[in-house]
Amino acid sequence: MGRRILWGLAPLLLPYCALFCAGMALTMAQSLGLFLPVGPEEATLEHYQILLEDQAMGQSLGLSLFVAFASAAGSVLGGTLLALALWRMPPGLRRVGVVSKVGLILPHVAVAFLVLLMLSRTGLVSSVLFQTGIISSPEEFPNILHTGSGLGMILAFLLKGVPFALLLIGAVLFGFDIRLVQTARMLGAGPLRTFWSVTLPRLLPAMHSAFIILFLYAFGSFDIPFVLGESHPGMLSIRVFDIFFQRDLSQRPQAMAILTLMFVFSALFAMLYNRFAAYLDGWRRKL
Amino acid sequence: MRLRHMLLLCLLLAGCSEAPSTESVLKQDYPALEKAARGTEVRWHMWGGSAQINQWVDTYVVAEMKKRHDISVVRVPMDAPVFVNKLLTEKAASKNSGTMDLLWINGENFKNAMQAGVLFGPFTDRLPNFTAWYDPQKSAHDFGYPVNGFEAPYGRAQFVFEYDTDRTPSPPATLAELASWIKAHPGRFTYPQPPDFTGSAFLRQVFYATTGGHEQYLSDFNPELYAKNAPQTFTWLSELKPYLWQEGRTYPKDAAALDTLFARGEIDMAMSYHPVHAQMKILEKTYPETVRTFVLAEGAIFNTHFTAIPFNAPNKAGAMVLANFLMSPEAQLSKFKPENWGDLPALEVAKLEAAQRKAFEEVDLGEATLDTDTLSAAGVPEISPEYLELLEKDWDKIILGH
Repeated sequence: MGRRILWGLAPLLLPYCALFCAGMALTMAQSLGLFLPVGPEEATLEHYQILLEDQAMGQSLGLSLFVAFASAAGSVLGGTLLALALWRMPPGLRRVGVVSKVGLILPHVAVAFLVLLMLSRTGLVSSVLFQTGIISSPEEFPNILHTGSGLGMILAFLLKGVPFALLLIGAVLFGFDIRLVQTARMLGAGPLRTFWSVTLPRLLPAMHSAFIILFLYAFGSFDIPFVLGESHPGMLSIRVFDIFFQRDLSQRPQAMAILTLMFVFSALFAMLYNRFAAYLDGWRRKL
Repeated sequence: MRLRHMLLLCLLLAGCSEAPSTESVLKQDYPALEKAARGTEVRWHMWGGSAQINQWVDTYVVAEMKKRHDISVVRVPMDAPVFVNKLLTEKAASKNSGTMDLLWINGENFKNAMQAGVLFGPFTDRLPNFTAWYDPQKSAHDFGYPVNGFEAPYGRAQFVFEYDTDRTPSPPATLAELASWIKAHPGRFTYPQPPDFTGSAFLRQVFYATTGGHEQYLSDFNPELYAKNAPQTFTWLSELKPYLWQEGRTYPKDAAALDTLFARGEIDMAMSYHPVHAQMKILEKTYPETVRTFVLAEGAIFNTHFTAIPFNAPNKAGAMVLANFLMSPEAQLSKFKPENWGDLPALEVAKLEAAQRKAFEEVDLGEATLDTDTLSAAGVPEISPEYLELLEKDWDKIILGH
């Protein structure tokens, strides 16, 4: 039986293994100094050591984690609130939610340019404020895109992430049996209590999935940081690109080492997060 | 029995089709190459970021090559680091029949490609236009790395600063004046973040000017000399950092990002490794008509860019014919005209016949472009990539804090 399933999946599994696993294996090998286009063929951990000793790499990691966390948490929160608001609306008005699909359709890089065009100091918003006399010079416009904390990137990720979270969470919410809520209310539960004990537990799995997907995407993404990122600290993905394409060949193992570490981190994160979510869930049920 | 014969035949054929490429192409003389290349297709991989350059290749080069040599040129847009990487992968996979015939390349990419042994050659001595119109000495090095006939010179570029006469009536003339100008206009100057090509050139420009000129770096790479001199460069840059755009905390990612800041008026000075760039931007209506260019008294870096052939190019003969055509006086002149591209010629204008020389001298590069005499008087060469890599690395560490 098991073998038959494997055979059935083979057309998908084989290309997947060939492309993904081989790429991964080559990345890891090159991070150890093996199979390089030039240079000595000798396994070494030296490149990992360089990374670990590099303070700026720590700052890049910090920024990547912060941007990923802020944008994923913000998206899930925003998506949940919007989904709840839409859910409360009469069914006819729910169609308004279609507007959110715009954010889903636009590619990430387009959203990044949108943020850049709107919010830079000489951007559209600043120009409008200047023309209407609300600010007296473009310099007065807040320097949103260059705060050093990735605010511009977070805004772009939110524009993409909120509709995505809304889609996932809304799908659960709109298929939700309203009688459960009505029963709770009849039994004397207040609105908060109803939300906490009846609605939220049913949304949590979708919220967790949305968070993991958005967090990992933002953590490793390239397009939005490329358009909106700053020089220092740079996002990890941009550092990899920079080392891989613009530096000497001898530095390539460093790029590969960053990629390997990012992969290990992402895998560990997804695993630990799922455990944590399951633990929280069990703990809630005991209450 | 029959099957076995077929197999043998297949093997033989396969063996034959692999073998002749490298060896015999280099043994043939040019007329034989030209004949062999007739009716073939040449896939030219080149940076595709400039609509104007693409247009010139797609119209002029394609039409002329068809007319003169019956060769179909296909332009494939690809960044140089990307095709070098592609070649490295193909070499590692022992893929001996590639997809690229000619590359537009120079600098670090050429060095990387040479070190990995992914280029074909030496081939330039086979090309009649090279022997007739070029000074082998001038194109013997590419960023200090020996060319050894693996690259055919194609054009020349030089570093200039750009400013708007409306906003800045008189531009700084020396590096010291530039420093005081930056201090007097906080937030109005920046440069692309090295290792961007233009930003890295600006870095070397400062390196030459703060450490007493380029001559000392021309011989082989000298780590002690670098260690002794580089601190002066970084002191100069660090002192100015707080007066840069965004207080030097962040830098435009590349030359295009710098152009945008300049065009939108967020900064008052830009720079380009292409002397005609400002004029082209004016013609495009991106820059106001009052934009002009200047060079510093300490000198303006120039470099040569080249074409090269991959080790596994399927049509090496065709690639050599195209490389030869690109070096011809006609192609160089067409490329030099600002309405086509405005790229400085790589050939020796002095070697040409009077009529052709006159045609080159009559090319009008526009108001915003400095005249050729000013440019060549200020010209200083590039130095070896080791200096460049150290400068970029230290810039990361000292200026950016990486």
